[in-house]
Amino acid sequence: MKALGIVNFSGHHIYVNGLEDYRPIGAFSFLGRYRAIDFPISNLSNSGIERIQVYINKKPRSLAEHLGTGRHYNINSKRGRLHLLFSENGTENSLYDTDISAYMENMECIEAESAPYVVIAPSYMIYTQDFREVLKTHAESGADISLLYHSVDNARESFLNCDLLNLNKQKGVQSIEKNRGTAKNRNVFMDTYVMKRELFIDLVKKARKLSSMFTLPQIVNALCEELDIRGISHRGYFATVTDLKSYYDANLSLIDYKDAQTLFKEDWPIYTRTNDSCPTQYFNGSDVKKSVVSNGCLIGGIVENSVIGRGCTIKDGAIVKNCVILPDTVIGKDVHIENQVVDKHARVLHVKELIGNPQQPGYIKRNDIV
Amino acid sequence: MKHNNMLAMILAGGRGSRLHDLTNKVAKPAVSYGGKYRIVDFPLSNCANSGIDVVGVLTQYESVLLNSYVAAGQRWGLDAKDSGVFVLPPREKADSDLDVYRGTADAISQNIDFIDTYEPEYLLILSGDHIYKMNYDKMLEHHKANNADATIAVIEVPMKEASRFGIMNTDENGMIVEFEEKPANPKSNLASMGIYIFSWKILRKMLLADMKNADSSHDFGKDIIPALLNDGKRLCAFKFKGYWKDVGTIDSLWEANMDLLNKNNELDLNDPSWKIYTEDVTTLPHYIGEHADIKNAFITQGCVINGEIKNSVLFTSVKVAEGAKVIDSVLMPGAEVEEGAVVIRALIANNVKIGKNAVVGSADSEHIELVAKRVKGDE
Repeated sequence: MKALGIVNFSGHHIYVNGLEDYRPIGAFSFLGRYRAIDFPISNLSNSGIERIQVYINKKPRSLAEHLGTGRHYNINSKRGRLHLLFSENGTENSLYDTDISAYMENMECIEAESAPYVVIAPSYMIYTQDFREVLKTHAESGADISLLYHSVDNARESFLNCDLLNLNKQKGVQSIEKNRGTAKNRNVFMDTYVMKRELFIDLVKKARKLSSMFTLPQIVNALCEELDIRGISHRGYFATVTDLKSYYDANLSLIDYKDAQTLFKEDWPIYTRTNDSCPTQYFNGSDVKKSVVSNGCLIGGIVENSVIGRGCTIKDGAIVKNCVILPDTVIGKDVHIENQVVDKHARVLHVKELIGNPQQPGYIKRNDIV
Repeated sequence: MKHNNMLAMILAGGRGSRLHDLTNKVAKPAVSYGGKYRIVDFPLSNCANSGIDVVGVLTQYESVLLNSYVAAGQRWGLDAKDSGVFVLPPREKADSDLDVYRGTADAISQNIDFIDTYEPEYLLILSGDHIYKMNYDKMLEHHKANNADATIAVIEVPMKEASRFGIMNTDENGMIVEFEEKPANPKSNLASMGIYIFSWKILRKMLLADMKNADSSHDFGKDIIPALLNDGKRLCAFKFKGYWKDVGTIDSLWEANMDLLNKNNELDLNDPSWKIYTEDVTTLPHYIGEHADIKNAFITQGCVINGEIKNSVLFTSVKVAEGAKVIDSVLMPGAEVEEGAVVIRALIANNVKIGKNAVVGSADSEHIELVAKRVKGDE
């Protein structure tokens, strides 16, 4: 079953303080060497979907740089295509800046494709999924639209910026609603859709006619009675990046190698752009435990329960605990930091102690010297 | 982008038989080094960083892996329109039968037709099995400034070791007056690094003559350089300072890896202005478990470490289980050390498993132990 892959940006109800000032969520560094968007694109590529459209609505630099020609995603460079599509009319965070308006703006590119199906996946959720299986289930069920969801038991305190699916016993979708944290057992909508490309085009055009501010989940919700819309359950690792806490938690949740294997499978590579960094050097003063470390680092201090990005320097005597350290940062001599997200190129040199609260991790800005 | 008018040829046909089992199925330039590299990444990256667009790689011994490895020129950025890596094993031609490369010079002679298609002004000859970083463009400037016919890169070696090398004796202007291969009583300590720049027209003539010479061993050091000197050509020495290693033995390969552990090692693979490029592997970053104890180590992506690591270099996707110890050792890609096993002063070959509680190598051995086959442990 041929499908066009679409990787979507996050709606304006989502904003990750700090990090998102510099790049869209898809371009966020994840687990040291990846970017969040590597997951949906690798899922599509591994599922044999080689024509992929990536929609970008703001701050395109780091994402465009990372995606490049897409050859690192194992996409055939002649038959396949990683197509970067920009939506330019919405001002940032404007209510008019919706996925529907991005699709409308690029409608000719969607219409020009030939695949009978579309698979739409978000750039801000972390999971692995073989879309061939989803397409098969979808086609066999005869549904008009299939939506991927993940059943969770912590919806009261987590996934608060996400949508939920209300399902009947036959997994028919009755409605899509915002998670207001009213119950713990919920079906979190993974913002992942499968449908016929023709239907998708109809939906986009219909949404635009109904309201200039409509989003794709809103039009799908509005059509729940008219169309046969079903949920498909996802199993395995699932995390969302919808605020700083969820970003921090998602990174730290993969520090144990066994847990990581629920996301990373031998036969399901996650591709990313290489940076040609050399291996990481550990000096005599280093003491690293329970951590994930990328290449190109120089480590002389203590690191515990942390994710260390590419090319970081952890100087002698430094203590880094429960932190997510983005690439190319420096943690200076004898600096003690805990429960922090340290953004790219930041240098923590002069402040000798920064202890955050794991429930509300701290954030150190990109390029900052503190 | 057009760069300098110099074409590079990398001699990568050698077996490196003193590396024993490591080169049973791959040529020496394809041997792993430094955690994530293969040795041939060094000359190839140097070429790319020096603005050389076209590189020929002369392969012969066990070349299947090496041929496909170097042919993917985009790894080193050598894939622009005017650029490329060309794999050149011996081939049958319309006017001559298939013949092996009889020597380093013969390998070039048999590819004169290839070189001519690019009409280079200069030809750079490199070894595929040396570890170093060098800007060949600087060497070319030196060649031009001295109006030389050939320039040979030299490095100062300790006088007492000079008799192991090909030694260049120079005049006060740095021009080579004499070349001695492994002299018993060396007059200088300038050793040839096997890196040559030739003005192509002159070398071409010399090679055509050498091909017909039945007495020649068709070797640059033994035949071509002495012939150029005899002819009164201008040969110039280009002094190189920095890290340079020809890893001929298991001991020296181990040592070259260990050199990376020095805080201020001269090779400095972390220098962003002169990166060494290599194959891109799809693995996780490395994982350090709660029982790990790592001191003085070089560790790369894909590793999963839960044991003790001291003074060691761990290559891609090495696994060290809880309670295992790895000391003063080099573990090649995919090597695995199971629970309680001990590895001391050893070089573990690719994908070799050291079983539970097994012990390999020893702290006071004279040589480094090469472990190329699975070592069984407790069942």
